[in-house]
Amino acid sequence: MAEATWRDYVKNKPKKPKPLSGLRVLEVCTIVFGPSGPSWLAEMGAEAIKVEIPPLGDLERDLSCSGFRFKEQSPLFLHDNVNKYYLGLDLHKPEGQEIFCQLAAKADIIENNLRPGVMERFNVDYRKIEKINPGIIYLEKNGFGNWGPYAEENRPSNDGASQAFSGIAWMSTFPGQTPVKQMIYLSDMYGALLAEVAVLSALRHRDRTGKGQYIEISQTESIMRTMSWVWPYLDITGQNPPPAGNRDVSVCPADTFCCADGSLVSLAAAAPQEFAGLCAAMDRPELAHDQRFADHLTRLQEENATALLEIIAAWAAQQSPREIEALAREHGFAASRVRDAAQVMADQHIRQRGFMTQVDDAMYGTYLDHEFPVMMSATPPQKKWAARAVGFDNEFLMKNLLNKSEEELKALYETGALGKWADRPGRRPPPDWDGSSDLILSRDQTPAQAERGEK
Amino acid sequence: MSADRPKWAEWADWVREKDDPRSAGPKLEALEGLVVLDLSSQSYAGAYCSSMLSEFGAEVIRVEPPQGDFLRTCTPYGLVHQGEGLNYLVEGRNKYHVTLDLNQPEGREVLQGLAAQADVLLETFPLGTMDAWGLGYEDLKKTNPGLIFASITAHGQFGPEADDPMPDYDNVAQAKSGIHYATGAMLPPEHDAGTCPWAVSTKASPWIAWCSAGTFMATGILAALHWRHRTGQGQALDVATTEAYMRLDNYTHIWFQGGGHVTERVGGLDNALWLYCFAPTSDGGVFLGGLRLEMWQAFCDMMGKWDEWGVGDWDSLSPFLNQEAQLKYFPEVAKFTSRHTSGELERMAVEYSRSGRLAPITTVIAPILSPQEAMLDPNWNERGIFTPTQDPVYGRVVAAQAQHKMTETPIRTKWVCRPVGYDNAFIYRKYMGYGPERLSRLRQDGVL
Repeated sequence: MAEATWRDYVKNKPKKPKPLSGLRVLEVCTIVFGPSGPSWLAEMGAEAIKVEIPPLGDLERDLSCSGFRFKEQSPLFLHDNVNKYYLGLDLHKPEGQEIFCQLAAKADIIENNLRPGVMERFNVDYRKIEKINPGIIYLEKNGFGNWGPYAEENRPSNDGASQAFSGIAWMSTFPGQTPVKQMIYLSDMYGALLAEVAVLSALRHRDRTGKGQYIEISQTESIMRTMSWVWPYLDITGQNPPPAGNRDVSVCPADTFCCADGSLVSLAAAAPQEFAGLCAAMDRPELAHDQRFADHLTRLQEENATALLEIIAAWAAQQSPREIEALAREHGFAASRVRDAAQVMADQHIRQRGFMTQVDDAMYGTYLDHEFPVMMSATPPQKKWAARAVGFDNEFLMKNLLNKSEEELKALYETGALGKWADRPGRRPPPDWDGSSDLILSRDQTPAQAERGEK
Repeated sequence: MSADRPKWAEWADWVREKDDPRSAGPKLEALEGLVVLDLSSQSYAGAYCSSMLSEFGAEVIRVEPPQGDFLRTCTPYGLVHQGEGLNYLVEGRNKYHVTLDLNQPEGREVLQGLAAQADVLLETFPLGTMDAWGLGYEDLKKTNPGLIFASITAHGQFGPEADDPMPDYDNVAQAKSGIHYATGAMLPPEHDAGTCPWAVSTKASPWIAWCSAGTFMATGILAALHWRHRTGQGQALDVATTEAYMRLDNYTHIWFQGGGHVTERVGGLDNALWLYCFAPTSDGGVFLGGLRLEMWQAFCDMMGKWDEWGVGDWDSLSPFLNQEAQLKYFPEVAKFTSRHTSGELERMAVEYSRSGRLAPITTVIAPILSPQEAMLDPNWNERGIFTPTQDPVYGRVVAAQAQHKMTETPIRTKWVCRPVGYDNAFIYRKYMGYGPERLSRLRQDGVL
């Protein structure tokens, strides 16, 4: 029974192993598209080392929500960088490149989202790393891949450009209106996600053969992959599929309707029993037998769909969102308010599932954030700690992974190969940091101070 | 292009030689030997998830009821190609298609036989359906403890609303995610929803919530597979479509925790970035991007505002990172862009990178392309994204593909779809040893 499988899932999470434990990931990643992927691997238990060029590090640390920051940190950076170790390493310096190679020799996965050719300039591209570590899985993500006309033009890309280039923005609007940009960084986030499918497939290949490989992902090619019917539609009809606002033109009925109080409800009732349920809920059971709505393919015809959606719109305009949700539950179709952030945060279901989970962090305190959205009964992913300052874990990483001596460490800092945060919001620890909490290993503390939690 | 190729051209050539999709055919496949049963029912999330696996070479056995999955009828405006809806036409790729009536005891028995030989089982039925059939995870793991049992539903396998049997739809998941609410055109001043019915929360097209659920589940399955490789242990996986899509939202939930702020629509603008917006042009629209002060200054220069606004004296982007400032500057930006075509603006940015005051710094200017323009763009065709598939059954079909470029185990599209029950003979022979006589009886009994 599903109930037996999932009983006490959230409670037992800390006691269970993680599926990617023992894997080491090195990332040289920036702004959403880059760091999200390694974060997901780290949530599944991989040891992710975030390499940032000191003292400023990942530019995502700069992003605020119209000026709002969470204890000085960018909310976006906080969300996309969990369970990681932070290394401030300057890859412009030969000494920094050497450290990177030493770490790469002990890594399983390397990810970056720099422009083509940059890692080569840093002397840490796939061809060099592969010689040190033939099992390495090496991922490069960017706008246009590493070859082809746009890549060679050195065209910059980002999420907004990718939404524009892919055709998805053109479609995601009302007929005749200017396209709107998705509020989320859709091409960045989805591209990052699709890239991990390649990385984990490559891991399976490596599990079986010992061989690593090189992977390149374009955020635009990734989002194009999601546009399913659009491409055969174009090829068959020779026409652009017109923007359709909130209507799902592949499912009928499926649209968003305005209720009596002016708020919006999205609804879908396509399968025969669902459609009959909706007709009953509207107190119009005869519609289920109307020739125009006889079966799904018939309903989807433009004229019939328009007629049906008008009937539903007139009905919905007399209802409250709560009534429609209740009727959906009673009659077996799908409906939900178009929920705002307050309604999402009040959702007890996603809280109790541990999806909206409370992070308990020594540096950023307690706050709610998304858990990795795949619940795994034997190996549950888990958010354990939040973001850290640039270079926060330098000492620990250098000692534990490379056993660097005090002299070597000193020399690395002197050449600038190693470095720490700039004294700026988002780069430094939060303002109420006590100077020692959460440092795994510090050069600046005596053992007695460390024990007392002093700097 | 050869005249002014970049310094790293040799690297580009090396990569292309190793990962051009045109040379994928004979290479190894990452998921070869992996047997996946896809029982998903009226769910593009399920179909998309198993496509992610079958593109990498898994043997995906698509189990449908005798009349075929409802998803086959979900197609834009009712358009079909050789009887097949366009979504399923491209998402049956590389899969074997069998029929089986799980409402009949004999059908369930056959399924148990297949499940005993599978590595992964994917299902999207309402909670309790598989258990009621005696095909739930606790049942199947008894004979196959290594099985990875993956469920995608609207509300997940547990939690206070898990027993709500609400069918899982992309548009409703988008509505629940919070993202739909915060996306869409802003209401122009002195208008209301009556005069501007398009200035409302607007969902993304086409099925992005379902794609997110399917892709997250694919990563979960592959991570579980790695765990099984190490320990032999299988497990159950649970994805709720709303949660999967919500996970792509970077900040509204954290912003809310800073004083209850509810993220509202900003049209083509952005809450976190400037210059970062969609702007109208005389023939469509463009994306303008400049995450650094200098890139915004470059754009001001292109607009001819350098002296008027004292742009040269600006020393920080911070003053522009709030909505008040954006609403002040955006009308000026839009006034300028509206006087030009998208192409003119694109060229202007390139020209500025060569001869502008701040060159080589310039602004990212990208035209908002229609899908048709995107599909005809030589760049993507050179990279193999829209190479037409010659399907043995459906003929020429254009489906986006080759999105994962890899040197050792690239993905490939062998076929795009199969009619209902097309592979019954092959799959039931291969896994169950059933011959023509047995199959014919099962067909007569309505089991297949």
